[in-house]
Amino acid sequence: MPTVQCTHCQLEFDENVMITEEENPNVYFCCNGCQGVYHLLKDDGLDSFYEKIGNNKIAPPMQVESDSSNFDMESFKQRYIKTTTEGFSSVDLVIEGIHCAACIWLNEKVLANTDGIVDASINFTNNKAKIIWDEEAIPLSKVIDTIRSIGYNAYPYDRSVEDVKATKNKKDYFMRMAIAIFASMNIMMIDVAKYAGFFTGMKDETLHLVHIAEFIFSTPVLFYSGWIFFKGAYFGLKNKIVNMDLLVSAGATLTYIYSLFVLLGGRGHSYFDSVAMIITFVLVGKYLEVIGKKNAVDTMDKIRSQVPHEATLVKDGVKSVVTLDAIEVGDIIEVKRGEKATVDGLLIGSDGTFDESSLTGESLPVEKKAGSLIYSGTINSGKVIRYSATKNYANSTLSNIVTLLEDALASKPEIEDTTNELSKYFSITILILSIITFAGWYWYGGDFEEALIVAISVIVIACPCALALATPIASLIGISWAAEKGLLFKEAKFIETFSKANIVVLDKTGTITEGKLEVKNVIGEMNTEYLPLLYALSDGSTHPVSLAIKNYLEDNFNDIEYLELKDIEQIEGKGVQAFYNNQKLLGGNGRLLQEMGISFAFESEYTLYHFAIDSRVICSFELDDKLKDGIRELITYLNKIEVEVIMATGDNEKVASRVAQSIGLKKYESELTPVEKADYIKKLQINGKKVVMIGDGINDALALSYADVAIAMGNGADVALAVSDVVILNNSLQAIKDSFVISKRTFKFIKQNLALSLIYNVITIPIAMAGYVIPLVAALSMSLSSLLVVGNSMRIKIKDKK
Amino acid sequence: MNSVLILELTVGIIVSFTLLGIFIWAARGGQFDDSKKMMDGLLFDSEEELQSAYEKEQKVKMMKEKKIDNKKSENKKENKS
Repeated sequence: MPTVQCTHCQLEFDENVMITEEENPNVYFCCNGCQGVYHLLKDDGLDSFYEKIGNNKIAPPMQVESDSSNFDMESFKQRYIKTTTEGFSSVDLVIEGIHCAACIWLNEKVLANTDGIVDASINFTNNKAKIIWDEEAIPLSKVIDTIRSIGYNAYPYDRSVEDVKATKNKKDYFMRMAIAIFASMNIMMIDVAKYAGFFTGMKDETLHLVHIAEFIFSTPVLFYSGWIFFKGAYFGLKNKIVNMDLLVSAGATLTYIYSLFVLLGGRGHSYFDSVAMIITFVLVGKYLEVIGKKNAVDTMDKIRSQVPHEATLVKDGVKSVVTLDAIEVGDIIEVKRGEKATVDGLLIGSDGTFDESSLTGESLPVEKKAGSLIYSGTINSGKVIRYSATKNYANSTLSNIVTLLEDALASKPEIEDTTNELSKYFSITILILSIITFAGWYWYGGDFEEALIVAISVIVIACPCALALATPIASLIGISWAAEKGLLFKEAKFIETFSKANIVVLDKTGTITEGKLEVKNVIGEMNTEYLPLLYALSDGSTHPVSLAIKNYLEDNFNDIEYLELKDIEQIEGKGVQAFYNNQKLLGGNGRLLQEMGISFAFESEYTLYHFAIDSRVICSFELDDKLKDGIRELITYLNKIEVEVIMATGDNEKVASRVAQSIGLKKYESELTPVEKADYIKKLQINGKKVVMIGDGINDALALSYADVAIAMGNGADVALAVSDVVILNNSLQAIKDSFVISKRTFKFIKQNLALSLIYNVITIPIAMAGYVIPLVAALSMSLSSLLVVGNSMRIKIKDKK
Repeated sequence: MNSVLILELTVGIIVSFTLLGIFIWAARGGQFDDSKKMMDGLLFDSEEELQSAYEKEQKVKMMKEKKIDNKKSENKKENKS
């Protein structure tokens, strides 16, 4: 069947699944949403959107089910809405669903055409929008409905202090850099004439004029664009630190003063061009850093915008809307369909369905029964539910993830601290070297100009930018790559630790195995006569073994008759007992049979479940815990990269040995208590090993806390977040492999970057000291070294794209 | 020769600094705040867009005037009461 493009979203599907229209034979829609938006745009005369979209593909329109009326609530207004000087209202939003410039155009256009909206500007780079509207003419909820009607969604965000600062900083740097580039380009043009004049002959007066022009252009570069370097050098000296800014500002100022001296009648050449170039090249590098920081702030704002701002509290049967900080443990919270849970809690009353994709990446809705955990940030995709808060907002999952990300972006790997320390000494060394160079050249050559220029070249060429950039730029790329794959490195230093790890200790249940039992083998006769009895008995308990039997019967037999049993009784740690028509039914382990006086000799290395009627064993089941998907691949990978894998479990020797064998593990430790597990980790560390411990977060908490890197495989639950150094949002073993790949690759690039910058300095400094480099070339080559480091770091993610 | 050069340099410097001034004015106005939008700006530049920008400007002007009138009448009411 041929595929056709959806007329709205441009995605391709089979022709026979597309929605068509009799009156418009050439249009195809993949869903009702696309069809609706297409007609809406056509009716409003905005169908030129489809010309502007070009070859871009967008996602089908979002179907937002939550009510927008909460945007008009007083608490919302107080938190997010500001009043402009003209008396209009203003709100900052993050628009979801933006794919291309045409999406921006469409949103801005639709909003501009809406009565009551004064201004709507959306930033394509970070999808943030600022809407100014007249509250008297249109409520905000209608503005939001307008955005939703064309298939996008909007969340408010509280413009953080960091965002305001980062935006201001970026704008300031942009202006300084733009002026520096403008002046440098002009100077370059003048330089063409100047250097041509050296070969063809140029009168001294003409050269003087050229120098005046260069002086005019280089002055704003040094004093306006270069101001940040003076500021940085001043604060550095105040804190007794010789930093990169001091080298840049000292180099540029000395060159400028010398050139000014030449211009005012002194003898020699002026180097105003070098002044402008030094500042411009270093400023471009700094601007890249500023953009990186701004992007980090934007990412944080996007995550924060996902946090709901208020919740519906039910107290004594009365509903009230409260802010998140007002929620206390034990409060009953109501969540309507399409709304997000605000804090963690336990479901009460009826069952529900939740979309946990924001936490786990799992796209299918998760069924929740009374007593199930509800995580903050997940969306209710079923009917209205109520749950009891088990945590306040600050300690809830979503708030924790936001804090974790903030911490990770702010922290530095150990190697970066070392590098920063190194660059301090480096700067002092370079200053001393340049003084020695000057003294040496002046002493032996006797030419002040030549000695000064060579000394300046040494300062400029040895700028430690590359050294300072080597680690942070690579870490930033590594961490963001990991975040794309659902891995949150709590701190950047774990990239380094992870890459150096040589032992991985795995817990068994919940890590290697699913923790869900499955019937492996049936012993005895599965008579259809007894099937309904066994089914009813297994349905009488929620124990994992009973559940496994029930699932097995449901999977293997159709239409089992459901019988009502009497006097169902759970026998702790052994099984279930019930009655049907005076028949005594028993379902459980060997100890249950023993207790009931039934003699039955059967041994197995698996978990056993026996089914007996009136002291007669009908059949027995051998159950096994299912291995997690990808465990064998993970172990093969770890063996390949020469990382030793050890299984540490509390289970007995027989089970441990079987599981270890089945996944190809040579080394395992069985029957360990939590304390013994922790001691075992310590013992490995004493032997000089760097240990990564992977557990399920609850019984392994102690061992995890001793490990160099701890990974908890919980379902994004509190323990997982608290104990883990690396949080795996999608709970898959593939993510552990990804963690190794990413951290090893990132660390490899950090080392490469450091080596590159050191080799560069070792080669260039002696050349500059020997007098073979003029300041301009020095500035250019220094910037090239920074670009080399940045460019090299960009390669980190290339492996993923292959 | 040098007088020609002086003239050329003076004109050149004045012109380039004027252009720089225009650039600074545009940058302060936020035209370059959004790098991605700026890159795609050409795609959305047409007479139609110019017309809608003009209409938007008129709409905003009207809304602002209306707001001021409302404020004035409110103040009058308050003074009377």
